[in-house]
Amino acid sequence: MFRYYLSLGLRSLRRNPILTGLMVLTLSVGIAASMSTLTVLHVMSGDPIPHKSDRLFVPQFNYGELRGYDPNEDLDQQVAYTEARNLLDSGFGVRRVAVYGMNGALRTQDPDFQAIVGNGLAASRDFFAMFEVPFLHGGVWSEADEQNAADVVVLSRKMAERLFGKTDAVGERVRMGENFYKVVGVLDDWHPLPKYYRLINGNGGAFYGEEEYIEPFATAVRHEEGNSGSNNCTGKGPDPGWQGWLDSDCTWIQFWFETESASDRQALTEYLGAYIDEQKQLGRFERPSRIAVSNVMEWMQLLNVVGDDSRISTWLAFGFLLVCLVNTIGLLLAKFTARAGEIGVRRALGASRGEIFAQYLIEAAVIGLVGGVVGLLLAFGGLALIAKQSNAMSMVASMDWEMLLLTIVLAVVASIFAGLLPTWRACQVLPAMQLKSQ
Amino acid sequence: MLVMKDLSKVYRTHLIETHALRGFDINVREGEFVAVTGPSGSGKTTFLNIAGLLEEFTGGTYELDGVNVAGLDDRARSKLRNEKLGFIFQGFNLIPDLNLFDNVDVPLRYRGLPSAERRRRIEDALSRVGLSSRMKHYPAELSGGQQQRVAIARALAGDPRVLLADEPTGNLDSQMARGVMELLEDINAQGTTIIMVTHDPELAARAQRNVHIVDGQITDLLQEPVLKAAEHAAERAAVAAQG
Repeated sequence: MFRYYLSLGLRSLRRNPILTGLMVLTLSVGIAASMSTLTVLHVMSGDPIPHKSDRLFVPQFNYGELRGYDPNEDLDQQVAYTEARNLLDSGFGVRRVAVYGMNGALRTQDPDFQAIVGNGLAASRDFFAMFEVPFLHGGVWSEADEQNAADVVVLSRKMAERLFGKTDAVGERVRMGENFYKVVGVLDDWHPLPKYYRLINGNGGAFYGEEEYIEPFATAVRHEEGNSGSNNCTGKGPDPGWQGWLDSDCTWIQFWFETESASDRQALTEYLGAYIDEQKQLGRFERPSRIAVSNVMEWMQLLNVVGDDSRISTWLAFGFLLVCLVNTIGLLLAKFTARAGEIGVRRALGASRGEIFAQYLIEAAVIGLVGGVVGLLLAFGGLALIAKQSNAMSMVASMDWEMLLLTIVLAVVASIFAGLLPTWRACQVLPAMQLKSQ
Repeated sequence: MLVMKDLSKVYRTHLIETHALRGFDINVREGEFVAVTGPSGSGKTTFLNIAGLLEEFTGGTYELDGVNVAGLDDRARSKLRNEKLGFIFQGFNLIPDLNLFDNVDVPLRYRGLPSAERRRRIEDALSRVGLSSRMKHYPAELSGGQQQRVAIARALAGDPRVLLADEPTGNLDSQMARGVMELLEDINAQGTTIIMVTHDPELAARAQRNVHIVDGQITDLLQEPVLKAAEHAAERAAVAAQG
């Protein structure tokens, strides 16, 4: 009977085309509004690396002087160079990464070449494996290059094309300042959303922009390349000079651990606790020992990657969908009431109330299906408008298959929900009354 | 075939009670053609609705083809209605956006018959009423008489034991009414029991038995002619079957 009811539902779309059109429009507008905002929220709050997000950890320490200490104060979100160096050397976990942002003027060996200002990253070698960065050509620099703080660089695909007019720039030389860097790898397109690996003052924010060149952390430190992001110093601040900066407790480096499994979190916390105790004996970390360890999703939540405005917009859009559904209920009531005669006939010919209920609920679902398809088209339009708001929005305002399917399912479920009351009313039709009045 | 004993039907509102049927007794035998007459508001349609399981009754008993219908749930009543009864209405009551084939198909769908069986029955029924060439037409494309013949085909397709007709010629001109009446007589001759509500004394006179209802009660039951007519009908059915 399902196929029969489905064919009746499709036929009934043609009956009362204005009423049907109004219902489809009402439903589709509600679906489009809710799904376009939900899509943005979904991309913003999605897990960027689902298969390992629970075993990538950011450590947080309690830097600063004891004087003026507030126990409720948030922990530092980055680490000082001393911690970055010590923790890189610690050997804890599978991988460790220190990373900070840079800006640089990139040139080729051609003296007439106009410099290109690029967003760069100083990262330790494990960065590529930990965050699964894809290479188009070449690969990561060698262990020896890392140890020797060699002048090597990995370029983004776009930067390679801009500098050399080709993507395979491996072996070419890039000039930054007075130094020449050998290109060892060119990245394929890589746009994790959000850019969870460097959320604090990442190039372009959490959603937009890409790393145009990446050089070894040790190399960047050797060339005294400063952080282009947030630097946080308390107390007396750093001593003069680059070495003073490196020796200070100023925090400016993002640090990540990758562990074998999510359950290693406790061991990591204990390890870091022991590390802080050790540092305290060296006269550092005056404040009480507080340590936090956050995995990827916790880290994004802590840094409020998805703003409250996005959540409020989504709630408002779903409120709007509810209003649309209430209107759809009214329109369905009108449509089904007009068919009381047919219901009476069907009842007389042997349809039970259950069969009438199934038929009309499927009819409501068919309207939802059409509303979902139209709503999907409108949602694409809505996302295009959202994308125009900013570069960051242009990155998140795109629908994946999961959301596309959800749109259709939501439309059908919403229409079935809206159809419950009208369908129930349709089942209450007294056939005897209708048959005589026809 | 259809037996009602001391049947009553009371419509209640918070102000008044209306006794549509009271002490209503009737026994319609298999193969009978019964005409039900009476003034407006006498209870004819209420009787037909109760007979057709479209309305509940308040008191008494009702047996349809040996089944006591009191206490049956909606599903069982619907099944019984689908399998045992056929309806013909004054207003035809065809579904406007279904073509003739699909209109006749409606009761068969609820019967759950396989596609080939449904098709055979639909084609037979439409052929029987002379409309097999118009299967793909829609009701609005037919005259009133043709629409009523489609309604009859729809009732016949389910091979009902009893055909309930409520003023089947009420919306037709005399020529069309005559055609429909001849069709009903022919169906009755094939052995189908028919109960027809009518205002038209001429039509009623063509039935084997007349039941007159006044104020919800049967006032004039012509018992003897009925039995004879039933015998004639049975004979005619036997001859038709042999022929």
